Amino acid sequence: MNFNKPMLVSALLAATALGGAAHAQDSEKQYRFVMVSHIGSNDPNMGWLTKSMEEFEKKYPNVKTEYISTNNYSVQEHVRLLEQAISTQPDGIAVPIVSSDAFEGPLRRAIEAGIPVVAFNIPDGRPEGERIPYLTYVGGDEFLTGKRLGEYALQKVEAGEIPKPAHVVCASHDSAHQGLKARCAGMKEVMEAAGAKFDELFIGAEPATARNTLQSFLQANPDTNYIFTVAGWSSPWAWGVANEMKLDPDVDDKGMTVLTVDEGPVSIEGVRAGHILATNSQGFWLQGYAPMEWLYWNKQFGYAPQSDILTGPVVINKDNADKWAELVRGVFGDKAYDEQNTW
Amino acid sequence: MKQLVRGQGFGAIIGVAVMLAVFTLIDFSGWWTIQTISNVTQFTAILAFVAMGQALVIMTKEIDLSVGSVYGLAGVAFITVEPALGVPASFLVALGIAALVGLVQAIAVVKGELPSMIVTLGGLFTARGIIYVWTGGSVHNFSPDARSHPLTRLLGGELFGIEAAILWLVAIAVILSLVLWTTPFGNRLLATGGSRESAESRGVRTDRVKIAAFVLCSLLAGFAGILTLCNQPQTHVTLGENMELEAIAAAVIGGCLLTGGRGSILGAILGALIVVSFRYELIALGAPSSWYITFVGVVLITAVIFNQKLARFLGHSV
Repeated sequence: MNFNKPMLVSALLAATALGGAAHAQDSEKQYRFVMVSHIGSNDPNMGWLTKSMEEFEKKYPNVKTEYISTNNYSVQEHVRLLEQAISTQPDGIAVPIVSSDAFEGPLRRAIEAGIPVVAFNIPDGRPEGERIPYLTYVGGDEFLTGKRLGEYALQKVEAGEIPKPAHVVCASHDSAHQGLKARCAGMKEVMEAAGAKFDELFIGAEPATARNTLQSFLQANPDTNYIFTVAGWSSPWAWGVANEMKLDPDVDDKGMTVLTVDEGPVSIEGVRAGHILATNSQGFWLQGYAPMEWLYWNKQFGYAPQSDILTGPVVINKDNADKWAELVRGVFGDKAYDEQNTW
Repeated sequence: MKQLVRGQGFGAIIGVAVMLAVFTLIDFSGWWTIQTISNVTQFTAILAFVAMGQALVIMTKEIDLSVGSVYGLAGVAFITVEPALGVPASFLVALGIAALVGLVQAIAVVKGELPSMIVTLGGLFTARGIIYVWTGGSVHNFSPDARSHPLTRLLGGELFGIEAAILWLVAIAVILSLVLWTTPFGNRLLATGGSRESAESRGVRTDRVKIAAFVLCSLLAGFAGILTLCNQPQTHVTLGENMELEAIAAAVIGGCLLTGGRGSILGAILGALIVVSFRYELIALGAPSSWYITFVGVVLITAVIFNQKLARFLGHSV
C-alpha cells in the first residue's frame, strides 16, 4: 500500500469499512478505544462519528468504542475530559487537537504510558518534529478547506456567475479553535490574492448574538459581498441577516455570496436551494471509523501509518449536491435529514 | 426633575446619555442611521425581556442564572412540539415549560432555603442538557405553514412598520412598571428585597413574592426565546447560551443592586440598550468582536460603582 497517497488510503479504508464483512474473532484480546471529541450533542455532525463507530464495533466485536464530548466550545473543558479519559487507561485514544498547547501535556503523558493516540478532525499544525507524537492524523485539511472553497468561488467569478469578491468576512463561532482559524486563513490567502479585503469576525455560537454581531459588521462595512461561515449551522443565520438587509444573498451575479462548510443537511440543502454557493465535505464518516481502525491495527499488529490521512476537503456545489443529499440521507435517514434542514 | 433623579433608573439614563454623546462624537454618520437604530433596538428588545425578569428577581435579593437556558429551552420547545400541536398550543406549552422551570427553582430556593445562585446554576445546566438530549444536537425546522401562522406573524413579524418584539417590549414593560410601582405586589416585591424581616413583620408573604418573581422571570425569558424564533426560525441548540450573563449585566447596569430592594424596569431596558449598543459600536469601529465582553465588564463595574454612589447620595442604605 502506498501510504504517501492519503486520499487513496482514505478510499481503501472506506471500502474496507463499508464492505461490512464481520471479522469477529472471539479469541482475540478485548480492547477499549475512546474518542474524546469537541463535537458534542450540540453539533449535528456528532451523528457521523457515532454512527461510523457503531459500524466499526459491528466489524470488531472484541473492541468497545466510547464517544465522549464537550457540549460547549471550551478548550479547558475538552482538556478536562481528555485527562479523565486517559486516567481510565484505555487501549487507544482518538482526539482532535483543538489547541496544541493545551493538549500537548496530557497527550504526551498518555503516549509515554503506552496509549496509542490518533488525532482526528484537527491536526497539530506544527512541523513534524515538533508536533505531538501521535500515530497519525485522520481528517480534513482545514486550511485547504478554506482555500479550495475560495478557489471554487473564483472559478465562478471567472465564469461570470457570481460577483467579484470585494470584501470577505469569515464568520467564526469559536475564537480559540485553531481548525476554524485555519479555514479562515485558507480563504484569506485566496481572496487577498484576488484583491479582496478580508476580515475574520467572531460571532459566537448564540444565534441572536451572532446575527446582531454580523449585522453590525455588515452595516459598518457595506462593501462586504462574501460571507464565509465556518460552521454549516451558522450559514442560515448569515443568509438571514443579509436577506433582511436586502443584500440579495442568493447565488447569482449580484449582491452577497455565502459559502459554508460541512456535509450536513443544512449545508447541502442551502446549496440545493441556491442560498449557498458551495460547502465542503471533510469525510466525517471516515473520521469516526478510520481512527478506530488504525488504533486497532496498531494494538493488534503493531502497524503504524507512514503519513497523515486526508479525508477531505471535497467541494460540494450545485452540480453534485443531489448525490451528496442522497448519501447523507442514507446515513442519517430521511426523517432526521428533513428535520435538520432548517432553511 | 427631582423625581427623575430619585428614580431608580436614573443611573442608566445618565449612562445612555453619555454613551449616545460619545457615539455621536466618534461615529455620527455610522451611529445615527435607520438601519443602526433598527438593528440595535431589535436586539435590545430581546435582551431586555430577559433583563426585566432578572431585575425582578434581583430586586428580591436573589439571582437567576438559568434565564439563558430557559430562553433556549422555551424556544426549542416551541419549534419542536409545533408539528404535533400547532403554533398556538406549542406557544402555550413552551411558556408552560418556562414557568415550570421557574416554579421548581423558586420552590427549591424558598422552601428548601437554598442559595438561588446554586439552584439556578443547576437549572442552567439542566435546561441546557434537556435541549441537547431532546434535539440530538439539531433543532428542527419550522414549517412554512407555521412561519405564516397569524400568531407567528404577530410575535415575530412587523406591526405598523416596527419590529413586533419592540412593540411587545413596550407593552409588557408598561404593564410591569405599573405592577411594580402602583400595586401592592410591587411594594411587597421591593420590600422583600429591601429587608425581608421587616417585610415579614408587616405581613408580607416573602416566600410567595419570591416564587412569583422567579416564575415571572422564567416566563419573560421563555417569551423572549419564542419571539426570537418567530422572527428568525433558523436556530441552533446554543440558543440563549451565555445570555444570563448579559441579562444580569443589563439589570445591574440599569440600576439593580444585588443587595436587593432597588431596581427598575426602565433601568433594565436601558441596561440592555447599553450592552447591545456597545457590541454594535465596537464592531462598527473595527475592534475585534471578542473585545466586546471586556467592554461589558468595564461598563458593568463602572455602573455598579456609580449606582452605589448614587444610591448613597440619595440616602439609600446599600
